Amino acid sequence: MRKLLDALYRLSGGLAAFFIVAIVAVVLAQVCLNAADKVMAALGFGALGLTIPSYAEFTGYFLAASTFLALAYTLRGGGHIRVTLAIQFMPRALRRAVEALVLAAAAGMTGFAAWHMILYVHDSWSYGDMSPGMVPVPIWIPQTPLALGLTILAIALVDDLLQLLAGRAPSFEGKDESLLSE
Amino acid sequence: MSILTISAILLAILFLMLGLGLWVAFSLMGVGIAAMTMGTSSPLGTVMATTIWGNSNSWALAALPLFIWMGEILFRSRLSEDMFTGLAPWMERLPGRLLHVNIFGSGIFAAVSGSSAATAATIGKLSIPELKRRGYPERMMIGTLAGSATLGLLIPPSIILIVYGAATEQSIARLFIAGILPGLLLVALFVGYVVIWGLLNKDKLPTETGEGLSFAEKLRRSRRLIPIVLLIAGVIGSIYAGIASPTDAAAVGVALALLLSWLSGSLDRQSFTEGLMSATMTSCMIAFILAGAAFLTVAMGFTGIPSLLAEWIGGLNLSPYALLAALTVFFIVMGCFLDGISVVVLTTSVIMPMVEKAGIDTMWFGIFVVIVVEMSQITPPVGFNLFVLQALTGRNILTVARAALPFFLLMLVALALVVVFPGIATYLPNHM
Amino acid sequence: AQGQADTWQMPTPYPDATFHTKNDRDFAADVAKATDGKLTIKIHSAGSLFKHPEIPRAVRSGQVQIGEFFLSIMNNDNPAFGADSLPFLATSYDQAEKLWQAQKPIVEKLLEKQGMMVLYAVPWPPQGLYTKKPVHSVKDLAGLKFRSYNATLESFAKLAGAAPTQVEVPDIPQAFSTGRVEAMITSPSTGVNSKAWDYLSYYTDIQAWLPKNIVVANKRAFDHLSKEEQKAVLDAAAKAQARGWEMSKKETVEQTKALAAHGIHVEQPTPELEQGLKEIGVKMLAQWKEKAGPEGKALLEAYQK
Ligand code: NA
Ligand code: NA
Repeated sequence: MRKLLDALYRLSGGLAAFFIVAIVAVVLAQVCLNAADKVMAALGFGALGLTIPSYAEFTGYFLAASTFLALAYTLRGGGHIRVTLAIQFMPRALRRAVEALVLAAAAGMTGFAAWHMILYVHDSWSYGDMSPGMVPVPIWIPQTPLALGLTILAIALVDDLLQLLAGRAPSFEGKDESLLSE
Repeated sequence: MSILTISAILLAILFLMLGLGLWVAFSLMGVGIAAMTMGTSSPLGTVMATTIWGNSNSWALAALPLFIWMGEILFRSRLSEDMFTGLAPWMERLPGRLLHVNIFGSGIFAAVSGSSAATAATIGKLSIPELKRRGYPERMMIGTLAGSATLGLLIPPSIILIVYGAATEQSIARLFIAGILPGLLLVALFVGYVVIWGLLNKDKLPTETGEGLSFAEKLRRSRRLIPIVLLIAGVIGSIYAGIASPTDAAAVGVALALLLSWLSGSLDRQSFTEGLMSATMTSCMIAFILAGAAFLTVAMGFTGIPSLLAEWIGGLNLSPYALLAALTVFFIVMGCFLDGISVVVLTTSVIMPMVEKAGIDTMWFGIFVVIVVEMSQITPPVGFNLFVLQALTGRNILTVARAALPFFLLMLVALALVVVFPGIATYLPNHM
Repeated sequence: AQGQADTWQMPTPYPDATFHTKNDRDFAADVAKATDGKLTIKIHSAGSLFKHPEIPRAVRSGQVQIGEFFLSIMNNDNPAFGADSLPFLATSYDQAEKLWQAQKPIVEKLLEKQGMMVLYAVPWPPQGLYTKKPVHSVKDLAGLKFRSYNATLESFAKLAGAAPTQVEVPDIPQAFSTGRVEAMITSPSTGVNSKAWDYLSYYTDIQAWLPKNIVVANKRAFDHLSKEEQKAVLDAAAKAQARGWEMSKKETVEQTKALAAHGIHVEQPTPELEQGLKEIGVKMLAQWKEKAGPEGKALLEAYQK
């Protein structure tokens, strides 16, 4: 089970990274086409209008996919920001209790958001909603990674809550990146 | 329930959640849930899903992960170290020395990026390790970064000027030009402050190796600046050559950073993957907070609290200067709890008629608003530059905010100067 | 909610200064007056509540009770929504009126399936051609980078021999300045708001099409109102429809004058240009008919009757 979950978090994190690479690839391809157009025009051939249709729309979709698929991975890497000023001075037992409360609240909110995102995607699918741009895309397709990412985050939060209740440290403890740490 | 009661309850909930260590994005979402529950009968879950989706798929925002990735690539290559080594000999006479790199670096980066979070994340990733290694004081290092990263919003291009221009039907091109002089004014104020601080605190600054070099030797060392200059020229050049929009330029930046770091021999499979995963996490963190902030903004739109408060100010019938003072206080207070751009979005409908009635130039007011929104980026508890710098430095948000305080005050000075000498904002666009 | 005061939330993507939004505010005032304040409509302008593509869905799912959007934004859902954005099908207010009469029953039926009802629809001023150099025939468009933001415009650009280019609205001035785009079709209002004289010099009044904004209500929310309130809404909507069309005509005259006053050469299309554009229009209509299915066929028959 542990291995399966860890693989899930890594897989979605990897997919998130893939979408960032995809943004770079699509935008860069468009810039190259623009440059080719410029050269053609300068040589007197006239611009060809080489475009990647709907590229702005697609980059937006890729960004959303990346953000949400990375949620659980970022949580476990200590990447999400919080204010630990008060809890770091609490006695250990109290701190654990507060951490559990916070994890439960976050899991509850994420579960709620994930459920409604799933309903939202279902709604888009059942009405056959299309994206408004040059290339029509059934809108449920780019929406699905959001529902998926939120669901995986909910799983990760419950996972950490159970770890904590079992007396182990949550995955993100002590992992805050810091360029200033000694 | 009265608006004041609801506002007080929401504030209490925000402080409680943040204080107990709930992640920032969830805290914003939680306040939004509370606001929707108390203030409207609209279906909470559906509104949440709609806003999260609607605000997360954004072309303009797509530049954010790319610039952050560019910073990660440079951080893992020799290029950032080269930049500081190349610059150090030239800065030895300037009190404050390499601290100015934060200011000028942010100023230059602001010319390609429209967001202050991207500026803080990218410049911070490069300069913090270098400045720390060289022994610069932490507080000044964080403060200069937090303050000057806000230039991303004032120096064109700027996401918030686009939002303001669209909401008030103004020429975005002119607004961009109006932002240039105030941006330079802020740079000058920041540099001046660091110079004075440097003169007063000589003992706190490290001495650089390579001091007292001959001019020729300095020039020779500056060769190490060539890659970074090429990178900057390539990114800015792609915009002015007409082959890239400002968002596209971020992808050019990533490609050039990869190329340069490959040429310098510091790019391998491991550093590529590490940089990419780290960028994925940082941009996820920022974009998730933005999603939480977007939901809170919509919840606030449903409750109508911000516009009611603004209407209350309008009802006071103040003179233009008093109105500006009241709006400054209003924006600063709101900016403590909401994302600065949200405050603009939620209140323009109410505030613009007041501003027009008072005879205030609406283009000038845009610049005024941006400076105040910049200030909101570094006020706790909700300030995006503070979050980014907390993530980078591992220092808690209050420490970061304290380091940023002098720069907050300098922005207040800039604001006063722009009010007293409105030409700072209006001269350039009126003489195009 | 009979007897107690009700508030309808109304998102619109357009800012306060737009005549559409002003018309909406008058509509809201009419409703409030006719219901003695029992039904108030709170307008959220400039996309401050929901982003443009989300507005139809927000009304459909009852997140808001009423909303405004650009009708042809739903073109990809059904081409009938985009009939008013077809180049050179309806090029004057009279023709646009006739087109709306043909389009309305179909749009109503399509929206009804999604639980929405049409209140009123108001056109933007006729769309003109903005360029840096004068355009006297379709040949002058050849090779120009032409701003296209949907499939219709992309196809138009290609048929005109121009190069379709994607530019987002805020980026337009810079894209013109750096040569990433050289021509666009939009309304005189948009040209004035973005101070087109800063970055181009010619406006050719080709009256390509008159796209509309539509205001729709959630059917359940409407059914929930008392009979008097329902009547108040429908009456105010009918008034808003008539007022909006007049505002649009006035806007056309004023904003075209404003373009000229700021030094843009406002030109009438030459007969040669008009002829060439019409030929493109015929080809595009043929393309559209293929995609538009039975609804499109019915719409065209009603319009061309
Ligand atoms: Na900027
Ligand atoms: Na703040």
